[in-house]
Amino acid sequence: MSKLTRSVLYWLLLSPLVVLVLFPFAVMFITAVKPQAEVLDPAWWPSAARWANFAEMWRATGFGGALLNSLYVSGMATVITTAVSIPAAYALSRYRFAGRGAFRQFLLVSQMLSPIVLVVGLFRLVAAMGLIDSLHAVTMVYAAFNTAFSVWMLQSYFATIPKDLEEAAWIERASPFQTLTRVFLPLAVPAMVVTAIFTFINTWNEFVVALTMLRQQSAYTLPIQIFSLVAGRYTVEWHYVMAAAFVATIPVAILFAWLQRYLVRGLALGAVK
Amino acid sequence: MGRRATAYCLILPSFLLAAFIVLWPLKEIINLALHDVNRFGLLRAFSGLANFRTLFADPDFLAALWRTLVWTAGVVGGTLAVSVPVALMLNGDFYGRGAARVIVMLPWAVSLTMTAIVWRWALSGESGMLNSGLRGLGLIDGNIQWLAEASTAFPMQILIGIEASIPFTTTILLGGLSSVPDELYDAAAIEGAGAWDQFRFITLPLLRPFINIAVVLNTIYVFNSFPIIWATTQGGPANSTDILVTYLYKAGFRLGKLGEAAAVSLIMFGVLLVFTLIYVRLAMREEAA
Repeated sequence: MSKLTRSVLYWLLLSPLVVLVLFPFAVMFITAVKPQAEVLDPAWWPSAARWANFAEMWRATGFGGALLNSLYVSGMATVITTAVSIPAAYALSRYRFAGRGAFRQFLLVSQMLSPIVLVVGLFRLVAAMGLIDSLHAVTMVYAAFNTAFSVWMLQSYFATIPKDLEEAAWIERASPFQTLTRVFLPLAVPAMVVTAIFTFINTWNEFVVALTMLRQQSAYTLPIQIFSLVAGRYTVEWHYVMAAAFVATIPVAILFAWLQRYLVRGLALGAVK
Repeated sequence: MGRRATAYCLILPSFLLAAFIVLWPLKEIINLALHDVNRFGLLRAFSGLANFRTLFADPDFLAALWRTLVWTAGVVGGTLAVSVPVALMLNGDFYGRGAARVIVMLPWAVSLTMTAIVWRWALSGESGMLNSGLRGLGLIDGNIQWLAEASTAFPMQILIGIEASIPFTTTILLGGLSSVPDELYDAAAIEGAGAWDQFRFITLPLLRPFINIAVVLNTIYVFNSFPIIWATTQGGPANSTDILVTYLYKAGFRLGKLGEAAAVSLIMFGVLLVFTLIYVRLAMREEAA
């Protein structure tokens, strides 16, 4: 089979999936630029694309505030997760110690338990500390639930960095600290950046914890803000909802499209090793 | 400072953070599940397994339990059936492979909440773009009220679940395929093995550990998945699309039945522990092999 025939065949076979994947993006985009009068029309295409919807949406939905909340929570959670995960992943990949296996299993179990299973207990924990509506409480919960994934990814990358380089540095009488900062960390930077970005995306998209802990609209993150435009309303302004969903989704989707090949490597290594 | 002490210092922060936020709520939940709890969360008398008994006497809970099984099996099975051929194709050499990979991975980048909200709109009966699209193609005559009945809503939710699970599964399988050495296929081709035989006797056995792990991890994720059902139907109409997680959320935060919600959590925790043990055994067998 020539490459050309195979390409045609593969694209044909993939086409149902491609349609299924792109359909929601099309719905999002087309609805977002429909003039209000046409939103409830069952026609696919608007008579004209109305770009002003995006600016109006920004004001009508309180998008800016939710965006700032999301950036703050995801940014802080990513910093904390990465800060505690790097040393742990380094220890797992470079040290042998009693309890190493137990620690790995603990991480595994905490990764299995999604926040929804613990949501009643989490709510009580946060409520007992008087932190309902606190973005910091949500940040800490996110950091805790992402630590396992982050350590997991990092240690699978760290394990691929050859130890010989560090050993060579020791022979040259570098101190352990120098070895770490001059030899190991520079090599590990790409892995850390990629893992941090994935943590960011995970927290950016989180739903249940934010839905439970954030009760006041001023504290809403983007997913909750957009959900609140839909849930329990009599009339939903779908063109604004779709415009908001579109603006919240596209930057992350572009970032992700660029990074997905790193994920293939990291996950495949981490899942079976 | 000894090497061992250094290692413990390095893992300590991550351990404390994860332990505090996982173990404390777990203790709370065990406590709640075994007590009679009022709707403001005050513990009254120790009630043993009464909360569990109430659950198993509730037909809605039993229906949600059963539906969780269908949901998990449907999404995980459907995802695998699509992902294996897709991964095989994406691992092959063809024009536009880079673009195809990006498209297949794309749903991963979108939060489940957004995906579900967009689908909720696309599936709306009167003005939904799915109905108008299907009508335009001449596939249906009248509008279908997709989300108004469990018999159409639940299959659509499973389809959305499959769409959202394909990227992760394909990623794991692609990682597995990239570890299959090309020489094996060359050797098999010389021996006269056809494409199907090569798949059956080379690809599938080497891919099996990755398939196993993808299935177990997907089972865990799908079993826990809340946003798709919550943002499309909130378990409705009349609780007919509830799965355990939405039942739990309603019991805890809508109906104020905290004891029962905690009991559901513990039941789910038990099931997840079993899945986790299966995963650990599969991963360990892999390591030993």
